[in-house]
Amino acid sequence: MRIVAVDPDSCVACRNCEYACAFRQSGDFDRRASHIRVNFYAEERACVPLTCMHCDDAWCLEVCPAAAISRDPETGAVQIDAARCAGCKMCLLACPFGNVHFDRTQGVSGKCDLCGGDPMCVRSCISGALRYIEADEAVDLRREVLDASLRRLLHLDKGEK
Amino acid sequence: MPPETEIQQTLCRMCDDRCGIDVHLEDGRIVDILGNKAHLWNRGRLCVKARAAVDMVYHADRILTPLKRTDEGWQQIPLEQALDEIAARLAAIREERGARSIGVWKGEAIGFGQQENIARRFAHAVGSPNYLSNDSMCYAARYFGFKLVAGAWPVPDLENAGCIVLWGANPPYAHPNMTQYITAARRKGATLVVVDPRLSAIARRADIHAAVRPGTDGALAWGLIHQLVTAGACDADFVEHHTVGFAKVVDYAKAFTAEAVQAETGVPAAAVRAIARAMQSAAPRVAAYVGNGLEHHENGVNNIRAIAMLDGLLGALDRAGGTFFKAELPLRDLTLYEDVPLKHLGPLGAGRFPVLYDLRRECHTMTAIEAILQDDPYPLRALIVTGANPASTNPNSTRVLEALKSLDLLVVRDLFMSETAAVADYVLPAASFLERTELHAHAKHQIVSVTRKVVSWPGVQGEYEFWHDLAARLGIGDYFPWEDETALNRWLLEPTGLTLEELEAHPEGVEYSPSLPGRWKDTGFDTPSGKVEFASQYLKDLGYDELPVYQSPAYRREPDAAYPFVLITGARKLLYLHSRFRNIPRFLTAIPGPEVEMHPDDSEALGVADGDTVRVTSRIGSLELPVKVMAPNEILPGSLQITHGWRDANVNLITHDDRFDPISGFPLMKSVEVRVERM
Repeated sequence: MRIVAVDPDSCVACRNCEYACAFRQSGDFDRRASHIRVNFYAEERACVPLTCMHCDDAWCLEVCPAAAISRDPETGAVQIDAARCAGCKMCLLACPFGNVHFDRTQGVSGKCDLCGGDPMCVRSCISGALRYIEADEAVDLRREVLDASLRRLLHLDKGEK
Repeated sequence: MPPETEIQQTLCRMCDDRCGIDVHLEDGRIVDILGNKAHLWNRGRLCVKARAAVDMVYHADRILTPLKRTDEGWQQIPLEQALDEIAARLAAIREERGARSIGVWKGEAIGFGQQENIARRFAHAVGSPNYLSNDSMCYAARYFGFKLVAGAWPVPDLENAGCIVLWGANPPYAHPNMTQYITAARRKGATLVVVDPRLSAIARRADIHAAVRPGTDGALAWGLIHQLVTAGACDADFVEHHTVGFAKVVDYAKAFTAEAVQAETGVPAAAVRAIARAMQSAAPRVAAYVGNGLEHHENGVNNIRAIAMLDGLLGALDRAGGTFFKAELPLRDLTLYEDVPLKHLGPLGAGRFPVLYDLRRECHTMTAIEAILQDDPYPLRALIVTGANPASTNPNSTRVLEALKSLDLLVVRDLFMSETAAVADYVLPAASFLERTELHAHAKHQIVSVTRKVVSWPGVQGEYEFWHDLAARLGIGDYFPWEDETALNRWLLEPTGLTLEELEAHPEGVEYSPSLPGRWKDTGFDTPSGKVEFASQYLKDLGYDELPVYQSPAYRREPDAAYPFVLITGARKLLYLHSRFRNIPRFLTAIPGPEVEMHPDDSEALGVADGDTVRVTSRIGSLELPVKVMAPNEILPGSLQITHGWRDANVNLITHDDRFDPISGFPLMKSVEVRVERM
């Protein structure tokens, strides 16, 4: 099963992913409608993209009293059936990562469904910070990023940056 | 019945990046646009501007019928009538005032590739040397900076670089998919240096962000030269055999100690040394890229030349991981500069800014405005504008509008009623990039593509059809013998050995020659001396300094207490390209209007909060707009930024059409002295 792997060290917080997701959900570019969120902290120059990891042991799915949350057998996506969602918000509280949000206009919870296996956030990610890859590939990516950080130290004098 | 679906592959031209796209159609109507995963440049990824082409093509405000200005307002007229009337008025103006009083002005609104040369051809065919374009305010100054030093503007080999240095460039917004090449290099251990007064999107990922004061980049470049020379980090063999003027460089650079650079640019001396060490450590795999941020200054070209010299000193030119010279696609030349030379007629601006005409065959648009208003150096009475919006994008918009309104004939081809179209005598519908077939050579990869005519509108002419039909009516039809743009494309391709059918079969592009770094070793550099020119005899002969002598910007050299702030204009935003796309509703949801970006110390001193309206005044004019208070490291204190292209609060109401870079003729738009008042 593939996941949307995030590499904060490549993210520039351009917000293409948020706009692309918001557009898919709502037809507009109000970022509040997006399932993926990128937090940007200017003074630390930190860009933090965060989206659902579709946990094997998905607490949102387990806690849902309306059985509105299920797993797509093909993509592995943990997804919400809006028609069944009672709007109780238990899933919002259950997700330890804040990756389920509440759609006030419809009165239902919303979260990433991997766009049926071709996530638009990844298609619109111009920095390469988002990739739709297998979990073990995501581990390789994380190692590559860490290795690069160490290699950069050889080129940059610490303390004089 | 389910709709008939189809995917057509072509190139996006919502900006200059030319990403490969899959255009999804249902019953012949475009319903979606996704990235072409096979395209070498974007690899399936696309910014959100691309999908908005669907909205652009089917926008309710599209101009689809020719419009004529009358006393009762716009009148819709048939295309044939419009062309007949325009041709008759052009012929009369040519007869009375001479052919050079007719100008052709090309812009970016419909995304040209090779077709801009049709407009160049028409101008000369009609007998006028006056081809004008957005290039006299964008691109050309960077081209000159590198051309004068290295013989061409080389392409950075970002992916293989060990150190990337971006000067006044913000790829995530300006060339979105360039970003993935930069992050890929960083994941291989490359360091990223970003030189920019603002914490741009790409600066968020910089290992060193050098926040230079606007227009002082040249001092930093000279400071880096000094560091590299004194550290013995230059490529001695390259410098000895392939450059001229090194001794003069060493001598001139002496004044640019790290401390002196700190005093001029605001970049700490330690950071200057750290950047030099990062470059030295990665040399020769140092890839520099200069953005438009360096162009709109009175010292722009020389700042860029100083940066170009760094490539030569490090031996990073034309090397893997450094910068390389792209082989040009050997298309047939559509222009008539050889067959019908018209330099003797005095192309506008060629006297004041000889390099602009000499090296790019561009006339100077600011001089053209003067010619219209003052008949100086001679009258310009008619303009045919194709996809350009100078009323918004040229400096001193008030004066530009006054000039455009005073023309005997203004014809504008565009998709929408732009600020420029609104004052025209005739507005003609133009074809968007999805409605023409055109040849495009990619800016980085040595690939050529032909774009597809995915949809069309009855009565909306393509670019070639328009100039062809107008030429026929003016008795110069012999210059446009091709039946249609496809026939023209075939003719253009002949010397390349490629066929149109091959290109059509490969929408991801066809490689026209392999990329081989080190071309200069065989041929020499494309400069007068055949070497990398640290000192330019060509410029010296024209009366300029042979070295890229650093000139401190006027706001620092002669500060004026009446205008205590320095204004940067034109920083790119993700969703807009110059004056385009303000009519895409969801873009306005995300970025609803113009604002002046300000340091929190300055907003506090002025007593204004985020969203408060202020008046910003330069020696040219003033405008009112809301304040955006930035984080302390996002903009320098005393500096402001306003992005161009907004109909209300158009920042070019206050930019300069009277102060220029002496070499390129580019106007002062990025270190403008202003004052700010609370409303």
